[in-house]
Amino acid sequence: MFRVILYAQWKWSRLVVTLGTIAAFILPILSVQGASPLPASPMRAGEILTMVQAWGVLYPVLAAALGLLVAIATWAPDHRGRHVHALSLPLPRWRYVLLRFGAGLVLLAAPALAVLAGAVFATRFAAIPSGLQGYPVALAIRFGVAVLVAYAVFFAVSAGTTRTAGVILAAIGGVVVVQVLAGLANIHLDVLTPLQGALLLWPGPLAIFTGRWMLIDV
Amino acid sequence: MTHAIAIRGLHYRAGRSFEIPNLDLSVPTGSIYGFLGPNGSGKTTTIRLVLGLLRPRAGDIRVLDRPMPHDAPRVLARVGYVPEQPHLDPTLTVREVLRFQGAFYPTWDHAWAEELLVAFDLDEHRLFGKLSKGQKGKVMMLLALAQRPDLLVLDEPTDGLDPVVRRDMLAALLDYVSEHGATVFISSHLVHELERMCDWIGVMDQGRLVTELPMERFKRGIKRLVVSGAPPIGDPTPFSVLSREPNGASSETWLVRGWEPEMQAFFETGGASLQRVIDLDLEEGFVELLRTFRTPRREEVR
Repeated sequence: MFRVILYAQWKWSRLVVTLGTIAAFILPILSVQGASPLPASPMRAGEILTMVQAWGVLYPVLAAALGLLVAIATWAPDHRGRHVHALSLPLPRWRYVLLRFGAGLVLLAAPALAVLAGAVFATRFAAIPSGLQGYPVALAIRFGVAVLVAYAVFFAVSAGTTRTAGVILAAIGGVVVVQVLAGLANIHLDVLTPLQGALLLWPGPLAIFTGRWMLIDV
Repeated sequence: MTHAIAIRGLHYRAGRSFEIPNLDLSVPTGSIYGFLGPNGSGKTTTIRLVLGLLRPRAGDIRVLDRPMPHDAPRVLARVGYVPEQPHLDPTLTVREVLRFQGAFYPTWDHAWAEELLVAFDLDEHRLFGKLSKGQKGKVMMLLALAQRPDLLVLDEPTDGLDPVVRRDMLAALLDYVSEHGATVFISSHLVHELERMCDWIGVMDQGRLVTELPMERFKRGIKRLVVSGAPPIGDPTPFSVLSREPNGASSETWLVRGWEPEMQAFFETGGASLQRVIDLDLEEGFVELLRTFRTPRREEVR
């Protein structure tokens, strides 16, 4: 069962997974492009760190994009068929959901491994000044976890009906509107900051996306 | 008599517009049960409730002697379902669709699936989404049959298909049923098609089951009678009078249910005269039945 679901899902998400895997491999290499092994172009440690940090912004963006697009592709055939085929299959619904979720995770393992391969390749061939170190495995694990979190969130949202998605969007919109109205009315009410903190700061569920993503660090 | 499908006191409501208020329905095991009704009468909803795709508000549904939707996975492993619209993944080829479906059914018959693929003249390399409506219908029927089900639930499987495709599909269906004694629950508004193949008939309208009986009794029992010197309305009759319409001053046309030839004596003893007994085919019987079912309801509304 898992194999046929994995194959069907691959057909829906192969473009996203392929492009995402290529991007995930290239990103670490590009992030250390200035740290050439040639002695003619030595870069100082500070400049390397600045460049690695600048490129590091793209890791969470790539992880979120991959999670979103693969989650959408995961449910796309069922949404198109209004879930009739899936519901008429002879297996419990929770098991079907797990199979779909697992197949998406297997596909997303490719870009996570590509980050690892690209990061190992980049740190091996870059001239890293003394005092700095490469962290290819840590970066790849963090990228993998970020992809997992993004995929899980968007998988759960897109598993629901259009109505569910509407309720979620309305809730988010409602918070923003309350904040704006409070600002206009000169009422001291800050809803967004605590919400942002709860989501984005540790132990918030999206904390993995924030902070510095450094392939090379002290 | 055992029943492949037994529904008791089913209540389902979809929003404010549609309701199945209290449905009792029984599909005898081994029968080919035609489920007739106009568009929007509740046939597809009933089928989806039977298969556990929708949850009822109240009532009891048993399919192959198991409660639904509680035992849905076990029941669905023994049910071949052809939905009204083909809901398969359009990006898979016919071959991939077969492989996908086969992975879920322990009774899947690979050899027979291959035979049906050839018999239905399907191109295994074509994407399901690129197939014509008739070809999609054939694929759906192939999938339902190749899992060797005990019960086939077919929701307007031949709707919109050309006669050749319809004949191929129904021939394969009848071959399977005659070999395996499976039960078939088939909904359609192609009345003539059901008339040829079904041995039981259920008629649904406005979320209610109008009637349910063996096909022969249905066809034999509904007649149009031309009566002269008709007795007054309200006199007891040995059959059900569905409607009475005057034909000029001297005679009336009666639509009756439960008619038997020996009932002719009713008119003779009452001083009336039965001039003609007109046989109705299933379609005429169906239309008249719905007409008479709806008339008192309209009056109730007024």
